[in-house]
Amino acid sequence: MSYHSGVCNFCGTGCGHLLQVENGAVRGVFPSPGHPVSRGRLCVRGWHIHELMATEERIPRPLTRGAAGLEPVTWNAALDRAAAELGRFRPGEVGLWASPRASNEDVFTLVRLARGVLGTPHIDLLSDGWYSSTAGVLREGTDQPGALGFLTDVRSADFLLVVGTDLARQNPIVASELHFGARAGADLVTIGSRTTQLARLSRTHLRPAPGTKKMVLAALLKILLDEGLADPDFLAGRTPGAAALRRSLVEFDLAGAAKSSGLSVDALRDLAGRLAQAKRAMGFFSTGTTGLGRDTVALVYDLFLAAGKIGRPGCGVIPIVGISNLAGANDMGAAPDRLPGWRALPDPAAEAVLRSAWGGAANASAGGRVGDLLRVSGSPLKALVVMDHDEEIILQAEAIRRLDFVLYLGAFSNPFMDLAHVVLPTATYAETDGTYTNTDRRIQLNRRKIEPRFEARPAWRILTDLAGRLGGAWGYTAPADIFADIARLVPAYSGASYAGLGVNLGGLTWPVESAPLAGAGPRAVPLNEPIAAPAPADEAFPFRLMAGKSYYYWHQNNIMKKTFIPRREYNALLLLYPQGLVEIHPGDAARLGLRDKRPVKVVSARGSMTVQARVTTDVLPGMVYAPYFIGPMIEGFLKPEAGAVERGEDGVIPVRIEKV
Amino acid sequence: MYILPKSDLPMLLRTLADRYELFGPIVDPVSGETLFDRAASPEDLRLDAPIPVNTPKFTVFPHLERILSFRYDRDSKDLDIVRDDLVRPKALVGVRSCDLNGLLCFDRFFLGQEYVDEVYRDHRRKMLIVTNTCVRPFVQCFCVCTDSGPYAAEGYDVNLTDLGSAYLFETGSEKGAALAVELGLAAAGPADAAARDAAVNHSIGLFDGQAVENKAWISRAVNRLTTGFVKPETWEYIGRQCFECGACSFVCPSCSCFNIEDVATQAGPTDRLRTWDSCSFEGYARMAGEHNPRRPVEDRRNKRFFCKLSYSQSKKYLRPGCVGCGRCARVCPGDIGLPNVVTAIRRETTGSKP
Amino acid sequence: MNDRNPAVITTVPAAAVIEEIRDEIEDVRTYYFRFEDPELERTFAVRSGQFVMCTVFGSGEFAVSLPWSPEADRRHLSVRSVGKVTGALAGLVVGDKIGIRGPFGNGFPFEDIKGKSIIYVAGGIGLIPLRSSIVHVLRHRAEFGRLILLYGARAPKDLMYRETIEGWRGTAGFETYVTIDRPEPGWTGETGFVHTLIEKAKVPVENTVAFVCGPPIMFNAVIQELSGRGLRDDCIISTLERHMKCGLGKCQHCAIGRTLVCTDGPVYTYKQIKTLGEQI
Repeated sequence: MSYHSGVCNFCGTGCGHLLQVENGAVRGVFPSPGHPVSRGRLCVRGWHIHELMATEERIPRPLTRGAAGLEPVTWNAALDRAAAELGRFRPGEVGLWASPRASNEDVFTLVRLARGVLGTPHIDLLSDGWYSSTAGVLREGTDQPGALGFLTDVRSADFLLVVGTDLARQNPIVASELHFGARAGADLVTIGSRTTQLARLSRTHLRPAPGTKKMVLAALLKILLDEGLADPDFLAGRTPGAAALRRSLVEFDLAGAAKSSGLSVDALRDLAGRLAQAKRAMGFFSTGTTGLGRDTVALVYDLFLAAGKIGRPGCGVIPIVGISNLAGANDMGAAPDRLPGWRALPDPAAEAVLRSAWGGAANASAGGRVGDLLRVSGSPLKALVVMDHDEEIILQAEAIRRLDFVLYLGAFSNPFMDLAHVVLPTATYAETDGTYTNTDRRIQLNRRKIEPRFEARPAWRILTDLAGRLGGAWGYTAPADIFADIARLVPAYSGASYAGLGVNLGGLTWPVESAPLAGAGPRAVPLNEPIAAPAPADEAFPFRLMAGKSYYYWHQNNIMKKTFIPRREYNALLLLYPQGLVEIHPGDAARLGLRDKRPVKVVSARGSMTVQARVTTDVLPGMVYAPYFIGPMIEGFLKPEAGAVERGEDGVIPVRIEKV
Repeated sequence: MYILPKSDLPMLLRTLADRYELFGPIVDPVSGETLFDRAASPEDLRLDAPIPVNTPKFTVFPHLERILSFRYDRDSKDLDIVRDDLVRPKALVGVRSCDLNGLLCFDRFFLGQEYVDEVYRDHRRKMLIVTNTCVRPFVQCFCVCTDSGPYAAEGYDVNLTDLGSAYLFETGSEKGAALAVELGLAAAGPADAAARDAAVNHSIGLFDGQAVENKAWISRAVNRLTTGFVKPETWEYIGRQCFECGACSFVCPSCSCFNIEDVATQAGPTDRLRTWDSCSFEGYARMAGEHNPRRPVEDRRNKRFFCKLSYSQSKKYLRPGCVGCGRCARVCPGDIGLPNVVTAIRRETTGSKP
Repeated sequence: MNDRNPAVITTVPAAAVIEEIRDEIEDVRTYYFRFEDPELERTFAVRSGQFVMCTVFGSGEFAVSLPWSPEADRRHLSVRSVGKVTGALAGLVVGDKIGIRGPFGNGFPFEDIKGKSIIYVAGGIGLIPLRSSIVHVLRHRAEFGRLILLYGARAPKDLMYRETIEGWRGTAGFETYVTIDRPEPGWTGETGFVHTLIEKAKVPVENTVAFVCGPPIMFNAVIQELSGRGLRDDCIISTLERHMKCGLGKCQHCAIGRTLVCTDGPVYTYKQIKTLGEQI
């Protein structure tokens, strides 16, 4: 056989594919027809993953920094140097960035290196987006930190709601499922300021003004409650937290919310009614750059809970994850305030848990986010260990340059290497076994297809060797050993093993040993902040700018740039808009005398950028939309606006647009 | 026409495996799906398996293939251009008639125009094809509407038809005839031919329950596409649902668009790689500078269906580009495989609702 | 070499040595080359209006129309540096090697236009593909009627082949008009867009063909002007450019309507272009 079954490693959908191997190299790919989620489909990225696997832009051998820059050395020399350097630091002086596209095993061993060997709690994922806070909300409501439903139920749903996000761009096969659901008769509704492909395919597309999505959700919830459309248990206050949530909405001004968002109360009432009446309703939102803030997620959850759609078969809300193993990496505890298995810190019992699992001392305290620690003056961090990251790092480059030691582990050559003192080449997902957990809690085993190219080694093996040199004898000889440890420490994964995962196309969903949502009955999740209308547009900055993602530009492009066809498609847009672009409504463009592709200056209170105008009715009047992927835009404009960008679709940046 | 007892099938496969890399339908143990793939051993081939999910086109037109290699030293100006011949002789066994017709489209296109595509020719010259009359069509299949099945009329070296305890072994080339002689097969008689016809007719009968609405419409869609009578609104309706993944082109037995990239390898030489491409991509027709003559997605969709169904393309292939395998319908995230396109054209024409 | 068309280099590029490089205008250089194989150097034959595929080793390959006249010129290519590969070409020096495949395409129809007047209308680097045709007809001056060149560019610095044009200016029986978009100090020639020269030159339409080459916006303006004067669509000839990967009619990147620019073109009449059903 030349085609071998595996899991696509791009986005969090976790599509099944077949990699074609010829003469020890990946040369093709085909969708896996029997896969329960992807059912024989792949998106443009998935159809070209073999181009990435065949790229020559790999890090071929270990490198250490000498007088003349990075120089190739033997594995022993590189590991010895890395261990000697890391051994110099006191606990808490090393920060670690795990990778959301690395396997559970690789992330788990990095967490163990941090807490169990280096004695540092400062570990996170850097590009976590909003996944941990999103999953935190769902956990608060149901004890289940992850999707509250199954993608395999989408086609039999009768009501599908997508809040924000351009799913056809971010997770195309999830969007495809929604499209199939709609074609089978489901009532597909999108709520988003921008017209996306999925919005065009929806029965109803509500376009609230930028920054008012939260108000719209609160309005829908209030209608359910005030008009008696909600689930009887919820209405009667039998659902824990329902009464308190209801009280917090008493003052909420429905008419005002409708006015701020630009939607009619009737349209909201109609939608609330359709949701309440649906038998199988599902909700979707993004956790990526276009994700939603904590309270907005809470409102989506509470809305579905109030409508009686949480914990019922065929119902639920699913956060859509943009990166292959972002969910799994969170399950592995790649976070400063949690241990593997979402055990929140501080926790007096935590150290005993780690000690019994790992058989030695471990740092089970709550740490800080590495990015935050790097930013503060007098940072406690002196060294950094980074696994497989890319240009996002430019936001922190200056702080990283000041560190005493930086270790980088990655498969592909990458600008981060310039900052590192030791570079260790890792195997790709096709070159070692590993498990990946997708957006609806599906743990999937991806088997090794080829030997690691050049001198690369699997990250789990590198980390095991490094731990050994630093005094930690882990005894892992294969990823299956590590997974056995994961299953011991992560309760939801208990019961899964390589033997079981290997025979199951599509793997197993967690919790493996119990029914989903088997914990305490769902609770209403309270809101942390009052719901306020966004500041009215002021004269100096009359436009509201939203930042978001585009199809081919997944994960900062470091990966896509190494393919042929997706790179070309990226260039197609770049060639039309080589300086980057903002989308602006034709009416605004006419008023300001702007023409398509002509340069415009976007000015905020903090900075400005000159990009090209893309004149399109995809955006609302008074709104501009900036795709979050073009280097100069990130560096010059979006970086100072990081606060707003991090709020995803809830964040808007007041700007003015000037003709250049 | 000969008879190959089923007990002798392993003998045929072993004989072929001695001389060729053996490809054919293989059942994937995890998914249970049939793949057309290289067989590690002749026993892996399953002629009774359902239609493979993929087409055999990768055997003559690989997903990614090195066609040349350059080594150029700018200091010494030494230049070495290598056209290495890595092509090994292949035997494709159990090819369905739809897929054979795809290969015949390829032959006419790659070998039959102004220039011969030498890369394709090298694959094709060293190939033996054993077709297998399709007695179990898929629900998406419509080869009876595109004149490409279920029985292969031409272009094979050997065609097998399952007659129960034996295969009818028809030869379509000198290579095939020599094989029959070498295997010492007994000649078939008129009763066997009649049994074949019955099997083929039975298979055709199975199509009665499939693609019912559209069957008569394929030829009318051909007509309307060719004459440009399909309304822009229909292409817009189709374009709205296109996720621009390229899958329809990649799984199509007759789609042959390719891309070429020169890649500097870490080992030194630059490889010239040829890879599958799709006219549905926005960057496909883009030129250096910024001119792109083909921008909106419906424009690009239109292009592909024109290529599959119009008369002018049929002239190039001596048959419609669509061979009725239905695979595009299975892999399309937008649910606009060719049968649904025909549906859209039918609805536009008859005024029925989408 | 190919089974069907043995005179054409189809798959494996032939090595050629760059003998001289001249700067033309900003981003455009002319590269004179000879084939490494003396036999090929002797026999490589092209028709005016054809193109070749040029490989920059280590970088990639691009399609480029031929400016040289087979009967009068040394072999050369004039290439604008616009992308990765043409950019890499610009980094080469005399003595470096490039790869050549071809020649491909149909070429200009000289037999059909004998005895006619010819108007060449070029914008910017659109003069490159017309150059070889102009050289050809000037060598066979007696076979044609009026010969007129209308050439426009944004500014004097954007005018291609200025020395050659100066030479043409002095040629009896060749009417040469050159314009730039806007007046500029030091420029004494015509100003305004190139289609305005059609009026100034009082171009004929009877028994006349026009060769038009340039960016789409200029092309459309010129066509409108010529058609308005009654020049028939089948008497307007142009060469189309498309993204190409193979040159052999196989990769399909250059498909336009029902034709392929690489094998059916690149030379089309405007009448044909109108029936292609796509933007040009």
